[in-house]
Amino acid sequence: MIPSSRPIRSRCLACLAFLALAVAGPAVDAADAHAGPTPAAKGTVESTHPYVVPPVSLTRADGRVVSLPDEMNDGRPVVLNFVFTTCPSICPMMSSLLSQFQHRLGAEADKVHVMSISIDPEQDTPSRLLDYSRKFDAGPGWQFYTGTVQASITVQRAFDVYRGDKMSHNVVMLMRAAPGKPWLRIEGFATADDLLRAYRGVVAGRLRANADGGNVNFQSP
Amino acid sequence: MKVVRLVLAGGLLAGASLPAGHASALGVAGRSEGGAGQSIYLQGVLGSGAPLAATREDGLVTTGTDAACVNCHQHSGLGSVEGRVSIPPVTGDYLFHSRANGAGEPVLAYAEGVRGNRDPYDDATLARAIREGLDSQGRPLNYLMPRFALDEKDMAALIAYLKSLSVRRVPGVTETVLHFATIVTPDSDPVKRRGVLDVLDAFVAQKNRAPLKPSPAMLTSGRTQYAKSMYMANRRWRLHVWELTGPASTWRAQLEKKLAAEPVYAVLSGLGGSNWAPVHEFCEQNAIPCLFPNVEVPVVADRDFYSLYFSKGVLLEAQLIARTILGADGRTAAGAVEQVYRAGDSGERAAQALAAQLRAHGMEVRDTVLPAGAPGRGVQAAVRRSARGEKGSGRALVLWLRPADVAALGDVPEGTDVYLSGLMGGLENSPLPAAWRERSVMTYPFDRPDRRGIRLDYPLVFFRYHRIPVVAEQVQTDTYLACSLVADVLNHVADNFVRPYLIEQLQGMLERRIITGYYPRLSLAANQRFASKGGYLVHFRDPGGTALVSQGDWIVP
Repeated sequence: MIPSSRPIRSRCLACLAFLALAVAGPAVDAADAHAGPTPAAKGTVESTHPYVVPPVSLTRADGRVVSLPDEMNDGRPVVLNFVFTTCPSICPMMSSLLSQFQHRLGAEADKVHVMSISIDPEQDTPSRLLDYSRKFDAGPGWQFYTGTVQASITVQRAFDVYRGDKMSHNVVMLMRAAPGKPWLRIEGFATADDLLRAYRGVVAGRLRANADGGNVNFQSP
Repeated sequence: MKVVRLVLAGGLLAGASLPAGHASALGVAGRSEGGAGQSIYLQGVLGSGAPLAATREDGLVTTGTDAACVNCHQHSGLGSVEGRVSIPPVTGDYLFHSRANGAGEPVLAYAEGVRGNRDPYDDATLARAIREGLDSQGRPLNYLMPRFALDEKDMAALIAYLKSLSVRRVPGVTETVLHFATIVTPDSDPVKRRGVLDVLDAFVAQKNRAPLKPSPAMLTSGRTQYAKSMYMANRRWRLHVWELTGPASTWRAQLEKKLAAEPVYAVLSGLGGSNWAPVHEFCEQNAIPCLFPNVEVPVVADRDFYSLYFSKGVLLEAQLIARTILGADGRTAAGAVEQVYRAGDSGERAAQALAAQLRAHGMEVRDTVLPAGAPGRGVQAAVRRSARGEKGSGRALVLWLRPADVAALGDVPEGTDVYLSGLMGGLENSPLPAAWRERSVMTYPFDRPDRRGIRLDYPLVFFRYHRIPVVAEQVQTDTYLACSLVADVLNHVADNFVRPYLIEQLQGMLERRIITGYYPRLSLAANQRFASKGGYLVHFRDPGGTALVSQGDWIVP
């Protein structure tokens, strides 16, 4: 009855890299596709998935109506999360992290497309998203999106974050190096350092999806 | 490690007023002034006036309102659950309650985020938790909980405030009865008034028909701390109808008197005319939930807490029209806009709102005002007067009129786009003359009739069964919806009748509801007061009848 608030414990990266090399082609339980074996950060769980970007239209915080595939597939790596502006605890934390992440990238920040999509689009009008983005000092590479309820749900489902209502949402960050590459999914409370490290790993191509799309295989670092 | 400083709305919030009765709403005897502890908890302001600073494990700092405890622990202090993240209650009751068996101790009502597996705090360990992030047994708190550097005075004030959030008795709640009030203003429509009160009476009567019996005690091993706390009594509802009289300037005093004589737990539904502000302020200042009154002109104040509305009514309609006239990208359309409304009616407020939006984009807006009373008289002349302005393309005429005035419309002016308030004019039953139908677009802040049928079955059957004349279907189904929402949320509230908790639980559970009456979707969250956020633009399909065609999709302005 009392929900656990303790994140899943992880093993160290070095141990796992060793295991990945030592074990040839790990057998994966299809029912356990989300329990990826390489949580790289304390308290998080990472997994890879071949999510398909749905062809929906969204409205950006600057008011422009855009196609989601166009926004995501401009060649830049993408860091994606889902928020709503009246979220009490999870979103302020996630957005603070992304703000830190952008700051740490410094001059490199323009090369990454950070995208935050609203899961309460009727409340989160473009102007509310703009206010929210200012609160977190969002640089030009970080954009916020809203749209119809239907479009938002379609995108949420495509990335397996839809939980029926916004208060059931969880802490999830998604990253992809380039169009066509698999997505890294990070669940749980990462730090900005964790995000940076995961990002560098994703961009360097140090993850590869298995045929079943459920596992992360780190190639030798 | 570099600290990223996010200095947010620091310092005192301009214009925010704390409800004087906030503490009394929670059942603490006597009115407290709130004081330093309340300022820290609700606003993130220290005793010195400086902003509160919240520091997280990774060095991230937030300040001011965004650092305030209320954001996570809520107004009630009872916390919440968000996904897999649970935020515990921090009222004195929960913090200082001893582990387990509860011999001689007050039984705590169930709260979702409760932490059962720790020793009770005392003042010293609580201060340590807030400063250093360790629980009563020295274990680290959840990653989300920041550290706060408070001096002795501020810490003592905050801890005192947390203790004050503990509840012994909530006004309007007894062992067997829940007292509700419903408020009717003298400028409200008498036909709707009858309809609303009929629905409320029938709902309460049906609720009370279930036999009153004590809840069975939870059959558990008794080892869990809250084994005895799931006490959900099926209390009777008692409805107090507060009918206000005279000018609006006297309503507040009348309400205060009624509240003193008949303390209530919450204000449910009700009916207003064009001015609901005195009632909204009464609820806010007395910290009483005011749940879904039937008003066309609500008070729009996102930072208030105690009032919840189904929609922004005619103000939403004004937004829909503004958006259409201006175009979605806000570029100014050519031409002027004329409006017609009756003085003192809801249309006056709507016209003001629309004019403000259009003028902000450089458009010219002219109003023709009909005198109050004498419905149907003078409308044709008013329309002709309004048409005497510049001719040319791009003129728009906006009619904020009731059915009697709509029926009295004469000739359609040339070269004009016509917009009508659906809410005021009777929706699909609007008596809009045939000649006007081809040229008029009506705002429709509800779901389309062809889509909402199934969702209305339940209330309509309820009306038939209780022989309630359906004189104002939309208002009556909204009333029924408000009642059933409150009945629903009382299950979630369990035995925790702290008034802010009622609001918080409503905000949390609303989106999951399937039965939403006239509205396609209802959704709320913290700092949201309006559950339905959009509408359609429609026009009549035929010269007569009620068939409508929507122009495009649901619009959220």
